Amino acid sequence: MIPSLAGIVTICLCVLPLLLSGPYYVHVFILTMVNIVLASSLRLINLSGQMSLAHGGMMTIGAYTSALLVMKAGLSFWVAMPISGLCTALIAYVVGYPFVRLKGIYFSIVTIFFSEVVVLTAQQWQSLTGGAAGIFGIPRPNPVSLFGILHVDFSSKVEFYYLALALMLISLIILYAVEKSRIGMVLRGVQQADSLAESVGIDTTGFKVLAFTVGSFFPGVLGAFYSHYISAVNPDAFSFLFTIYILIYMTVGGEKGFFGPVLGAAVLTILPEVSRPLKAFEPFVFAAVLIAVIFFVPEGMAGIPQMVRRVKTAHEKGAADA
Amino acid sequence: METTALAQSVLNGLALSGIYILIALGLTLVMSIMGIVQVAHGEIYMIGAYSVYYVVAVLGGNFFLGIVVSTLFVGGLGVLLERLCFRPFRGRADRAFTISIALILILQNVVLALAGGNPRSFSSPFSGVVHLLGVAISWKRLVIVLVGLGLLVGLFLFIKLTRTGQAMLAISQEREGAALQGMNIDRVSATAMFLGCGLAAVAGGFIGSLFSISPTMGSFALMKGIAVIILGGLGSIPGAVVGGLILGLVDGVLPALTTTHIAGLVGFAAIIMILIFRPQGIGGHEG
Amino acid sequence: MLEIEGLSKYFGGLEAVSSVDVSVRAGEKLGLIGPNGAGKTTFFNLVSGTLKPTRGKVTFEGRDITGKSPHYIAGKGIVRTFQGINIFPDFTVLENVVLSCHLKPGVGLLETVLKTSGSRRKEKAILERSRQILELAALDRLANVAAKNLAHGHKRILGIAIALAAEPKLLLLDEPLGGMNAVEVSETMALIDRLWRNGITILLIEHNMRATMNLCQRIVVLNFGRKIAEGTPDEIKANPDVIRAYLGAGGHAA
Repeated sequence: MIPSLAGIVTICLCVLPLLLSGPYYVHVFILTMVNIVLASSLRLINLSGQMSLAHGGMMTIGAYTSALLVMKAGLSFWVAMPISGLCTALIAYVVGYPFVRLKGIYFSIVTIFFSEVVVLTAQQWQSLTGGAAGIFGIPRPNPVSLFGILHVDFSSKVEFYYLALALMLISLIILYAVEKSRIGMVLRGVQQADSLAESVGIDTTGFKVLAFTVGSFFPGVLGAFYSHYISAVNPDAFSFLFTIYILIYMTVGGEKGFFGPVLGAAVLTILPEVSRPLKAFEPFVFAAVLIAVIFFVPEGMAGIPQMVRRVKTAHEKGAADA
Repeated sequence: METTALAQSVLNGLALSGIYILIALGLTLVMSIMGIVQVAHGEIYMIGAYSVYYVVAVLGGNFFLGIVVSTLFVGGLGVLLERLCFRPFRGRADRAFTISIALILILQNVVLALAGGNPRSFSSPFSGVVHLLGVAISWKRLVIVLVGLGLLVGLFLFIKLTRTGQAMLAISQEREGAALQGMNIDRVSATAMFLGCGLAAVAGGFIGSLFSISPTMGSFALMKGIAVIILGGLGSIPGAVVGGLILGLVDGVLPALTTTHIAGLVGFAAIIMILIFRPQGIGGHEG
Repeated sequence: MLEIEGLSKYFGGLEAVSSVDVSVRAGEKLGLIGPNGAGKTTFFNLVSGTLKPTRGKVTFEGRDITGKSPHYIAGKGIVRTFQGINIFPDFTVLENVVLSCHLKPGVGLLETVLKTSGSRRKEKAILERSRQILELAALDRLANVAAKNLAHGHKRILGIAIALAAEPKLLLLDEPLGGMNAVEVSETMALIDRLWRNGITILLIEHNMRATMNLCQRIVVLNFGRKIAEGTPDEIKANPDVIRAYLGAGGHAA
């Protein structure tokens, strides 16, 4: 059921730009797709039981790395973008080992501080990063020729839309494959019973670092995409609040199933853009939704069908017993 | 560098230390006793600052009255939050964390709606200089250091002498074991929140007397608090004092000795090193 | 097979395990008993790598494994069970065992992401092996039940099945009979015996005296972290130090 649904949605997404009434809505969908990848990759890290708040920092690293590689080292965007992802993953790998040894809340705290250190580095290392003002005039992705006929030079938002769509599909496929593989099973086992997993030969530290590294690759890549899309980057672009929003998308959508964060990111990015009052009260609405989810629907939006089913079966059982 | 300037820098540093220690102590009390990452701690600090502002600038009250009122108000708010938001999720750190996030959004935006986004300021009654050992130093900052010290001593005595205080210390060092010894977790958690939020409120009031306040000032406090806790030791209450002392002095003295540019780098370069080589900090255990 | 010399563990001022020497021969069934708090589980933790010893040396099959990480030691062939959390609660019974077949056959992780034919074959082999283990443990009918929903006795047996999946040469069983009724006890003892016959060396902590005396060929007794006696079950039953340790602690004699 899921694969065909996904197929239908993908086809819809491919034709969507032709239906949208203006570049603003294209922009909204680009943001949505970026957020979907961010929320889903955050969930991968979470799968191992570690609540990471480093995503903002990772995105910043990816954004700056790509901008600098293209503007100072003269690389093509198409080379810089994957390298940014790899750089980010490498940094995650290096800090991952000491971080991952910390328990639960302490891990979260150091990841918060990691993001802050990234921001401070970007602010202070003026010679490299342009300081608090950031980098402007980041060039568009190099023009590309598809199948020899289509010429894409990224002068319009629609072209960025399709790039974002491609990135999102590839990312989701990778994340899904990892989750369904033995790696995913090991991560879930580690989250449930760390010592037990160790006792059967699973290097739990190594797997947690793996989740953290792979999960941080995606904000690196998407940071690169974003900085060339907006053509600017500054230290506060992906602040603590930004990371919090991603966490909100993931939590409201539901962490248990793979598509929870996709749903959460989609709904919470699009809804405020189509409803003016919602946008005006966005922080309050988000806070209220968050609280409602935690108290009443802990499994998130994706868990609602299951909840309804459970209530129905309980109801029917009650009626049958009566 | 001449003595007066050095002394003033040291005092600046100590005043900042006092404030950082208050923030970090509050945060680590809540973290190690309730086992949650209270990321809205910065917002609590901000509300403390605004409460003092309200008493001093709007009601025309005395600065110390403002501090006391703010402490009681914010401490009470903390107790309320513990009862309503955190107690239902005791043991579920991930859900409590989500509640904290919701609190950030709510608290920040309520204050934004009520008070507007423009920075405000109020004056501390302690303007001017006092002469100590032949050096002219800022009265305001000296008061902060003295009051901060007093609060530290008070907290230390509370932990040493009262049963709740002892329970707090035990729980902060070994959460699971202490719970089994039949301590009244409800009361200890409420006390931890009251003290933690109260300390943050005092810190907010102090910062407000030195600089200005705004609804977004909370993130500064959260990041400083986290930096102190990481430096001084995750889960360590004495570590928060040591870490706050070091960071405050670095932030206060280094800009006077070198350019600000380098001072900021030194501060967090040290912390990066700590993060990579000894993430549990100077005095902390691994959690 | 397993040589433990002068093993000690201090927690602050508390001496949990104190200069213990134990030698486990390949293929034997060794019991570890002692009153509550004698340091038996701490001893296991030190051998399995969960805790690092303060002093002492642990050698397995000629290799020094003192203070190594638990997964490394498991990889060398020492697998332990736990008194507390001994199952993966949100997985099914079958998934519990499938996950534990982590070491052998070694499934390359990238392979499983790419779902190569090689990895698919290995996963099939793992599935087959897991079902065999469940049959051996008489849990095969419960294969698709979530582990957290199992009855207590079945959970403990699943714990043994999980350990078995990791292909142990030496199996450290930490109170496998805890909370079981008489029927479950005899079934579990039969299972342990079957494992032993298949060539696995057994080191067992148990409070159930009768079962331990019946199963084990040799017994080591700990009290207050020290080894106070060692010998055959009959020797131990008659040993005055052992009797005093148990009566003194308010426990029951064998």
